[in-house]
Amino acid sequence: MTIDKEKIIVMLSAVALLIASGLFYSYAVADANASDTIKEYKPSVSSQEYEKRYKEFYGNFTEQMAEEGNPADLTLDDGRDLFSTVAGSKGKSCASCHGKDGKKLKGAATSYPKYDASLKGIKTLALQINMCRKNKMGAKPMKYESYDQLALDLFVKSLSNGMLINVSINGPARPFYEKGKAFYYKRMGQLNFSCAICHVKYAGHKARANLISNNRHHADHWPSYRLKWAKTGSLQRRFRGCTKNMRAKPLPYQSDLYRDMELYMTYISNGLPIKVPGFRM
Amino acid sequence: MYKKTKRRLMLPASVVIAVFLFLVVPAIAMAGGNAAKGEKVVKTRKLGNCIACHVLPGLAFPGDIGPDLVKAMQHYSRSDRATVRQWVYDARKFNSDTIMPPFGTNKILTNQQIDDVVAYLYSLKKSK
Repeated sequence: MTIDKEKIIVMLSAVALLIASGLFYSYAVADANASDTIKEYKPSVSSQEYEKRYKEFYGNFTEQMAEEGNPADLTLDDGRDLFSTVAGSKGKSCASCHGKDGKKLKGAATSYPKYDASLKGIKTLALQINMCRKNKMGAKPMKYESYDQLALDLFVKSLSNGMLINVSINGPARPFYEKGKAFYYKRMGQLNFSCAICHVKYAGHKARANLISNNRHHADHWPSYRLKWAKTGSLQRRFRGCTKNMRAKPLPYQSDLYRDMELYMTYISNGLPIKVPGFRM
Repeated sequence: MYKKTKRRLMLPASVVIAVFLFLVVPAIAMAGGNAAKGEKVVKTRKLGNCIACHVLPGLAFPGDIGPDLVKAMQHYSRSDRATVRQWVYDARKFNSDTIMPPFGTNKILTNQQIDDVVAYLYSLKKSK
């Protein structure tokens, strides 16, 4: 009799746990479909005004440090080596198709992220590199945010340095752009913030000793070396950091919503030159 | 004789206890914030971190997202305590698109900590 009771209690608590974790997951991830209802914020400051405040606040500290030597330049060099390193069952390197030092990839990064029919979704540059490795080289895909993956991503992107970002949100990309935007405006976490409320509505304001950046330049310089990380990292690592700051559950690298949001944010940077590696605080 | 007195006292005593439980205790709990503890909540990053957005006396590098709290408190009298508490507990009641975290609703702070913060806020009013 008592055993039955215990069993029931165990079962009930298991069910309760399942329900609770399900609720938590939906709370943290949220579905971001209701894009039509999104009311965009008016930016609190113009880009010029933000630049002015940034100079007043931080000076040109990061520019100076980057000039003295951006540690991510070493990562970029390793990426160049990886580009011509043979890997996989087909005996090829990236250079086998794309030319020595990626000659034929000049400008390729300007159109990423983009819609891909085989994925039925958005393809980031990181995803494309892994697709190449799997399909054309017969090599193992690289783990996202691993050193080699970042290095190769950085090198391929650097081939488009100085060229203008030009991502398309037309046609099949449109619904994913809308999803990314909805996610950008979605309130989440214990602090109930959204990306947009800080980086659009209150951009250029101060949060304690930080100037809240406006989102114009958020997608034009990744992968970047970041002092806080003492490491080179990707835009999506930054997403995860921000999500944690809101006390929400971060999503995995290259998950659907992060790729959609990367498209949305890169679209905001359309027309700006690619500048990698970046150097940030 | 003794027993009778005891019985006669039972009713009034229970009334007094009931009044104490249902009226006095909540009143004390509502008004019973500790301003010094509240100040700690307000200035600690892992707790209230109010200083991230609001100007407060005695700390450098305040944020400028929300209003200066010394100035804001001049608009509230003693009888507005529930309103001030609501701002901290969940400001969405006043502004559905506020950036202010719902400290009570999302359990960022405990009820006691919120009372302490309210007590601290009223202490700003005194010290003007």
